[in-house]
Amino acid sequence: MNDIVINARDIVKKFYIGEPNELEILHGMTFEVPKGQFVSIVGQSGSGKSTLMNIIGALDRPTSGTYFLDGQDISRANDKELSRIRNLEIGFVFQTFNLIARTSALKNIELPMMYAGVPAKERRKRAFDLLDIVEMTDRSEHMPNELSGGQKQRIAIARAMANDPSIILADEPTGALDSKTGRLVMDLFHKLHREQGKTIVLITHNPELAAETDRIITIADGNIISDSAEVSPLEGIRRAPVIAVKPSGIQETGEKNDEAPAAPDTVPGVNETNGTSEDVQQQEQVQDHVPEPAAAEVSESEGKA
Amino acid sequence: MGIWENVVLAFAGIRSNKMRAILTMLGIIIGISSVIAISTLGDIMQANVMDIFNSQGGSNLTVFQVSRKDKPARDYSSDEDLITMDMIADVKKKYSKYLEAVSFMSGNYEASTRHHRKDYDLVVYGVNPGYIKQSMTKMMMGRYISESDCENIKNVCVISDRQAEKLFGSQRAAIGKVLPVTYNFQVTRTEKMAVYADYTIVGVYKYQLSSLMSSMMNAVGEDAESWNNEVYIPYSTLNRLVGDDKDTQYYFYGNMMNGIDIDKACEEIQDYMNQSYYRDNDSYEIHYQTMESQMEMIGQILGIVQLVISIIAAISLLVGGIGVMNIMLVSVTERTREIGVRKALGAPNSAIRIQFIVESIIICLVGGVIGIILGLLMGVAAGSIVGTAVPPSIRSIVIAVGFSMAIGIFFGYYPANKAAKLDPIEALRYE
Repeated sequence: MNDIVINARDIVKKFYIGEPNELEILHGMTFEVPKGQFVSIVGQSGSGKSTLMNIIGALDRPTSGTYFLDGQDISRANDKELSRIRNLEIGFVFQTFNLIARTSALKNIELPMMYAGVPAKERRKRAFDLLDIVEMTDRSEHMPNELSGGQKQRIAIARAMANDPSIILADEPTGALDSKTGRLVMDLFHKLHREQGKTIVLITHNPELAAETDRIITIADGNIISDSAEVSPLEGIRRAPVIAVKPSGIQETGEKNDEAPAAPDTVPGVNETNGTSEDVQQQEQVQDHVPEPAAAEVSESEGKA
Repeated sequence: MGIWENVVLAFAGIRSNKMRAILTMLGIIIGISSVIAISTLGDIMQANVMDIFNSQGGSNLTVFQVSRKDKPARDYSSDEDLITMDMIADVKKKYSKYLEAVSFMSGNYEASTRHHRKDYDLVVYGVNPGYIKQSMTKMMMGRYISESDCENIKNVCVISDRQAEKLFGSQRAAIGKVLPVTYNFQVTRTEKMAVYADYTIVGVYKYQLSSLMSSMMNAVGEDAESWNNEVYIPYSTLNRLVGDDKDTQYYFYGNMMNGIDIDKACEEIQDYMNQSYYRDNDSYEIHYQTMESQMEMIGQILGIVQLVISIIAAISLLVGGIGVMNIMLVSVTERTREIGVRKALGAPNSAIRIQFIVESIIICLVGGVIGIILGLLMGVAAGSIVGTAVPPSIRSIVIAVGFSMAIGIFFGYYPANKAAKLDPIEALRYE
């Protein structure tokens, strides 16, 4: 067993936008993630966050540099090998859930196992076990359009765990959820990290969420500008918000659709500046299962960041 | 990802977009149903042709006819070129081991009979005894024209069951009665000459029309019963009536024995006749044509008709296939994000490709099955109109199923390949 799950050395990514122009997005990133760490990667739009995520998620190969995922060299894998690695080593959790439409929750969870060739009986059992972990057993036959945003994301997390991957790669997993369901999703990640010892990579621009994790890697303009593993944890946490905070419209729309009469609404303008952490704390105790009809309609433009 | 899961998925997709799926299938449905209907119709035609064929003495019937040589000296034929009664008698005697019967007809004339002050139209045929073998008739009562009738130029006749019932009340009552016949010979363009003759009825026959022919006549509004007005008399009797003492024929039929090599036997007869009677003829010779070769010609014509309609059906299937391809391309575009997700979850390109090909095949197969059902219904409907039921052709159903699958694969491959080659990052980003 390898203790280092992610081993990235001098990752450079260039995009060729017609000769001779080339756009270098990542300028040589080097970092390691040990097994069982809950790490967040924080950065603004255009910082290279998504490009880095695509490489970590084996969706893309670096232009130069090496990337070993659980000992396997991703930078030299071909398409077929990449899809096998994505299937077995990586569990994706997306901002917009991305459940397959017209396919039951159970079948959605079974999907990665289908591609892995797990026998039907076995994957059904595993899917039910996962439904149990995310506390969604009673929704197994529901279609995605019959589930609330929080429920969808929990199914998506169960799906990400289907093949027991080396890492769970969560891209703004709470971005399309209101704060209270976002809180529950984060709690679920903490539970998986604590109880199952999962290595989780959280991509976010929300410093409050990042602050909850073991380690924060902050990137800007294609470089790692801070890594809390290399400085004192306290300093990292303090520094990260300064660089990354830029309140987006996501929380705004999320708040408006929130059914609970949340405090920020009574104080106009608060959530436009720095109110997000308060929201989270205020609604921490609120139970889930309340369908949030507009959650999925929240602007997805942030997903492109 | 097994095929079964893909099939379930494809059906779920079709269900969620029923209208679109049906419209897409329409081309396939029309194409397949017309193929099935055409092949059923072809089988019906074939069955009917065989019906006629068999009622006329079947594959044993051969016609020996006077035909022009390759380089004839004359264009016209004279009495010397024609087949005489002596020749026929000679051939029949010499080749009795091959020939079950020979038949010929010396002519047919329109006539009428008067009964209870009412005129009934007749057609009088002068025939030899063998003629019954190749006509579509069956004796019901009494006897047919005999050899001695012909030799002795007897005034006897055979009438149909309908005529017997109409004129004499019953078939039995007709036997032995006299049938007064009035001929209306065309003397000049405007002048007709009435000739009277009385014939003693010696037999009653039943016309055995094939179901196709009777239904065709019904379809054109002609009463099939009108075909029952044929009256047969000895050829010699008719020849004497019209003043023809030469008794020559352009052709005669030979009913060949069962179980012999018909072509070889016919060849032998043809060669004998040419050697014995036509050696010195500079322009004409005897030529035979078996019923089988005539049937083959009819079969070829039917085949061409079927081919033409099949080409039209193929064009419809092509258009249908393009429709399927179009809708699959739309489907791939619509589901770009889903494809991205599947790829992120580890679907290899091949799994995506198979998923879309299976979907395309399912659309085509569902269309194909609907088309087969429609086509069979059309075939049954057509069969009931012409009065011949044929069993559904398993062969054409299998071909139709196979063909619709092939269309699914052929026209589904391009969109499926497009889906398989999508960049997962781009696909995930697709709105």
